[in-house]
Amino acid sequence: MLEVTSLCKTYGDFEFGPVDLRVDDEVLSVLGPSGSGKTTLLSLIAGIVEPDVGSISLNGSRLDGRSLQERRTGLVFQDGALFPHMTARENIGYATTDQDRITDLASLLEITDILDRQPRTLSGGERQRVALARTLAADPDALLLDEPLSSLDAPIRRRLRGELHSLFDSLEIPVIYVTHDQRTAMALGDRTAIFRDGAIEQIGSPTTVVNRPATQFVARFTGNENLLEATVLEQDGDTAYLRVGDVDFRATTPEIEKTAVTICIHPSRVRLHAPDDAVDTPGENTVVGTIDDWLNEGDEYRVEISLDDAPATLTATIRPPTFDRLAIDAGSGVRITVPPGAVHVVG
Amino acid sequence: MQSHANATVERVDWLSVTFLLGAVLLCYYLLPLLSLVFSQSPGAIVRQLTDPNVVSAATTSLTASIASVTIATLFGLPLAYWIARTDGWAKTVVTAVVVLPLVLPPIVSGMVLLTVVGPNTFLGELAAANGFQFTRSVAGVVLAQTFVSSPFVVVTAKAAFESVDRSLEYASQSLGKSRLTTFRRVTLPLAWPGILAGITLAFARAIGEFGATIMLAYYPRTMPVQIWHSFTTLGLENAFPVAVILVGIAVTTLVVLNVLGTNPLE
Repeated sequence: MLEVTSLCKTYGDFEFGPVDLRVDDEVLSVLGPSGSGKTTLLSLIAGIVEPDVGSISLNGSRLDGRSLQERRTGLVFQDGALFPHMTARENIGYATTDQDRITDLASLLEITDILDRQPRTLSGGERQRVALARTLAADPDALLLDEPLSSLDAPIRRRLRGELHSLFDSLEIPVIYVTHDQRTAMALGDRTAIFRDGAIEQIGSPTTVVNRPATQFVARFTGNENLLEATVLEQDGDTAYLRVGDVDFRATTPEIEKTAVTICIHPSRVRLHAPDDAVDTPGENTVVGTIDDWLNEGDEYRVEISLDDAPATLTATIRPPTFDRLAIDAGSGVRITVPPGAVHVVG
Repeated sequence: MQSHANATVERVDWLSVTFLLGAVLLCYYLLPLLSLVFSQSPGAIVRQLTDPNVVSAATTSLTASIASVTIATLFGLPLAYWIARTDGWAKTVVTAVVVLPLVLPPIVSGMVLLTVVGPNTFLGELAAANGFQFTRSVAGVVLAQTFVSSPFVVVTAKAAFESVDRSLEYASQSLGKSRLTTFRRVTLPLAWPGILAGITLAFARAIGEFGATIMLAYYPRTMPVQIWHSFTTLGLENAFPVAVILVGIAVTTLVVLNVLGTNPLE
């Protein structure tokens, strides 16, 4: 178990912390924009920089104050940081002299065929596989990864993401995976921590962070771009009645103490129907709107809709079949349904 | 397609232009050197080669240069590494101090050294009391050469160390390797071509060193001092063959350094 307590570090204008964190034998994905302190967290744990205040412990023993070499925290860099004057095999062999271990890791990471090549002749994905093999060869007690997939092409990134998921599962050590890519963070993390300005803004399961963002920042950063100002009309048990313009929404939520709130609805939870569709979705919020614009993002369409009865817009992400069936175009009307559980009160 | 071909032609032309401009400088380097070598009859050179004064000067030059470059490397590499891996004002100040001997006129370098190790200084008298002297000795030659040549090692090695990505060192250490192992197996091999260039420059500077040397140690004569001596006592014609020999020693050494220049520790 990796435990970070009241960790602080100041560099010039940038203040990191205080950060408290506990990572069991699980994958914590750390998500945040550039300069939010993600890499600093890894540098502090790995021992590249020493904290001003706070402590770091791994399996009960203190790490802070110890040198990098004593910490047993495996570090994987964005570009792999392979030693350019050594072959892939020599790179892995740098961490272990056990030839069987090298063979096993090479087979696990599917790099057996490239072991005798120099790093400069390897593709980005191959380099990362070798880097990971080298790190695992040292048999670390925790694994720290700094955006290892960020420089890869999308298809390779997707494939490696899938492989990493099962690899991390088998490791049974704390894994911290830093990324600025929401999809990678969601796909790999058992839990996700959102960093902002050197501190943790929210930590929780990927589902919680996406569907129940604690702040507007987290909402926006996890793709919840539908943030609407609403007035609380009434609360009845776990159902709240909220008004945006002349549109009423029902939300499933714990008790709200304020009367003016911000609600968010994830674009993937906004469903679109033809205006004349006999929508039979009892209990769902139904609103009508006009399509402003749409964007083809490859595997899905992003549709911007102005609500007819409120000064607000909603974004919906829909699959291509739905897009084709509804014959979406700018200016056409659309009926929108949103389940009450998808209406989240941010605060 | 047409425009693509044109672009290629244009690029090649620019390269040719740069080479032609550079070739002027190349000729300026090579012509005098070749003219010196070919103006001397082999007989004159062989005569000088057997002159005990020249042999002694060549021996002094080579011995002292090897010694001063060794000292420059032993102390210069750690300093270069320290500068490369340090940030802030200390780095700027130390780098400026290292560059100082490069900007001082050599004869002034010799004068400032005399104020520290000259016969009437504390260190000079201390050495004399122990039957040793810093001036008029090979030690003096080495001191003068080290002073003027070691900055080349430090400055060039510093740049070479800086070009080694720090994340490679972090990666090595996080794999459980000590700083020393990391330096020996990662940093040094990657910085080695740059370090070798620094050693080569320092050697060239040391073997040609004249200004600081005549202030500190006119005797035993090094090759440049011998050339000066031949020129002032016997005339320019008699200094030329000695110069050819010095050029020969310098060029040979540089070639040897570069041929043998694989990292001995890798």
